[in-house]
Amino acid sequence: MLTLTSISKSFPGVKALDQVDLDVRAGEIHGLLGENGAGKSTLTKTIAGVYQPDEGQIEFDGEIVHWAAPGDAKEAGIHVIYQEFVLFPHLTVAENIFLGNERRGGLGLIDYAQTRRDARELLQRLGVEINPDQLVSELTVADQQMVEIAKAMVHKVKLLILDEPTAVISGHEVELLFKRLEALKADGVAIIYISHRLEEIFEICDRVTVLKDGQFVAGKEIGEIDRDQLIALMVGRDMSELFPVKEDDTPPGEVVLRARDISVNGRVHKASIELRAGEITALAGMVGAGRTELAMGIFGGLPLRSGSVEIDGETFSQMKPALAIRKGIGLVTEDRKGQGLAMQLDVAANVTASDLGAVTQSGLINFAKEFQIAEQEIQEYQIACRVPRNPVATMSGGNQQKVIVARWARTCSKVLILDEPTRGVDVGAKTEIYRIMRELAAKGIAILMISSELPEVVGMSDRVVVMREGVITGELAQGELSEESIMQLATQQEAA
Amino acid sequence: MTALAYRSYNFLTKRQSGLLVVIGLLVLLFLFGAFISDRFSSASNLLNVFEQSTGLALVSLGQTMTVLTAGIDLSVGSMISLLSVLLSGTIDGEASRVLPVCLGILVLGAAIGSLNGLTVIWLKVHPLIVTLGMGALLQGVTLLYTLGPAGSVPFEFDFVAYGRVAGLPVGAVFTIVLFILVALFLRYVPFGRFIYAVGDDETGARLMGLPRRRVLVFVYAFSGFCCALTAIYLVGRFGVGNVYTGQNYTLASITPVVVGGTLLTGGRGGVIGTLFGVYLISLLNNLLNFMDISTHYQLIIQGLIIILAVSVYVEKKRAV
Repeated sequence: MLTLTSISKSFPGVKALDQVDLDVRAGEIHGLLGENGAGKSTLTKTIAGVYQPDEGQIEFDGEIVHWAAPGDAKEAGIHVIYQEFVLFPHLTVAENIFLGNERRGGLGLIDYAQTRRDARELLQRLGVEINPDQLVSELTVADQQMVEIAKAMVHKVKLLILDEPTAVISGHEVELLFKRLEALKADGVAIIYISHRLEEIFEICDRVTVLKDGQFVAGKEIGEIDRDQLIALMVGRDMSELFPVKEDDTPPGEVVLRARDISVNGRVHKASIELRAGEITALAGMVGAGRTELAMGIFGGLPLRSGSVEIDGETFSQMKPALAIRKGIGLVTEDRKGQGLAMQLDVAANVTASDLGAVTQSGLINFAKEFQIAEQEIQEYQIACRVPRNPVATMSGGNQQKVIVARWARTCSKVLILDEPTRGVDVGAKTEIYRIMRELAAKGIAILMISSELPEVVGMSDRVVVMREGVITGELAQGELSEESIMQLATQQEAA
Repeated sequence: MTALAYRSYNFLTKRQSGLLVVIGLLVLLFLFGAFISDRFSSASNLLNVFEQSTGLALVSLGQTMTVLTAGIDLSVGSMISLLSVLLSGTIDGEASRVLPVCLGILVLGAAIGSLNGLTVIWLKVHPLIVTLGMGALLQGVTLLYTLGPAGSVPFEFDFVAYGRVAGLPVGAVFTIVLFILVALFLRYVPFGRFIYAVGDDETGARLMGLPRRRVLVFVYAFSGFCCALTAIYLVGRFGVGNVYTGQNYTLASITPVVVGGTLLTGGRGGVIGTLFGVYLISLLNNLLNFMDISTHYQLIIQGLIIILAVSVYVEKKRAV
């Protein structure tokens, strides 16, 4: 269906794609793998006509093509579902589905009744219950994704590309998505599937292509390869190195933070948790179990309905972020762009943002000093940035995450809360972040890690607290830790 | 809820939420005015307001289109001034020139507007700056052409403003028809839908291969065209074009758009809300005149209204 031969694409200062080959057949799901910055997005956009390759040849559906704009590729039957959906929130579901391909009646005018009928039929074929008259902004993310797939079906899609489709949806929704993809595959659609979650790749893909640093590394049948080999191809590293070993076996120190019977906003009910110095505690559970809200309650980002937080021997019935920071608590939020980083500012400004006192002299910012600190942190955390003065927006997700961790490590002396610290981060950066967490714990900081990735929970934590529907359902010490035991607590029924 | 009821509910509460508000305010204002003064609610006064609202309505119609794409046209005031002096200056009292010159002015308005749109695309500069600069440029050209009223138009030309057909002012009725046509265009022609899409998410529109550039050129060209219509109307009304004829229309044209519920961030709203916004503003000014409140206060009130209206319609953070 699609054959790319020696595709190269450069941007100022970077060779994003270097002689990449890829072939995707009709009726297969083809995994595209690689670390962040390996060139997956650039390749996707080249296939979709957003970028034009500098060299190489694209053959689609038996013809050599040169797309000048995204519209050409769409016309030919290529549909991309980007991580950020291309949906128009103020238009209805039906209007979004047929945008650019309006159902017309007499005089070439839009036929709304027809639009609605066809939209309903398409959604039914996908097996989802979505009202075509709803505004897209009112839908859940999973439903928005279905609307994107419905859009693809309007265009008689021949090649569907999904960029990290499961980053935004959870358990059951993922299963539904996979069913739809299998159905499309059975209809002869070629699918390129990009994901960081290797389990999914093995579950759904027929073949995989691995990119590294903009170059083609390998193309394999999924049966020929196992998980560890795949990781090795992506990073040139062994799986066992993913989780750094804990160096000394000193028992955890005293309790530094104690939350008692905290209730937050209807999402958390009377949860109690203790954090000890030098210990990594994981907060596990399904998406929506109230883990983020619990952390926010402790940090003061959300008001406490009941209960108290005790830190340093002092008890507070309400926290405020400024107070939490003063008391030595840090919080790395789940959403880097929205809550964590000033994307247009450089590494130096971001690192020192919560600790401006350290770089201020007579009330003015000392840029030389700020720069010096930034360089130190860049070394310390191995942050890959070409120029320290570049805005962090230009850096990869993993490096952005390191910048945030570096910032909090400067000010938080007691507790660091990390909410999904490795989401959307490539394998190499993951290891880095794990190493940093271990180092901080060794310095005596209590770490609370919220994570939905079970291997990470098992591999990293000294102790696991599990939540389900706002309630803490159990605690597991290191000896009892396994993915199964955690899942059981995370999903157990009321009666059990 | 039936599907139809759901759709109407959706339409009024989410997509055209401004419409109900502005109509409600219009009714309240009218009742208040009728209570204060008998003459205010008389048919002749209302027809008078209706007739005088034409200039503001025409320029706001074009402005609505640029705002729907998350843009703005700040050159409208100067453009109206320039086109009005060119209009009366070129006709210069000759009845035979009226028709060709009017057509020429309409084309020129659309051409200058296209230039705004093309500049936004080529230079990738925000429309705010492009049209602000264009406004200064056009005002300069106007003053180079003449320093005061230019030329004249035949006496009968006032028909476009004061003419009555079946007792109704011609210009104002033409304006309503034009608003309805544009509303239908926005709803039923695919290109109209693209205008909303570009305003809602410009990057998304580009990724979907929608004709983003054509949309931008079109809305600014249309705004220029509306300025030309406004200039024709104003020359009809005053009998001559003047160098500062359009000056107040730049801010004034934005108020009804915002009051009518079109978001400055684009992608939501529509021209019918703007039309009622125009009537609301015109009626308010008329009422203030009745109450003997000076035009200085009217300006203050207008400033307050626009800030208040924007704050009311600022979209709350989207769910999810």
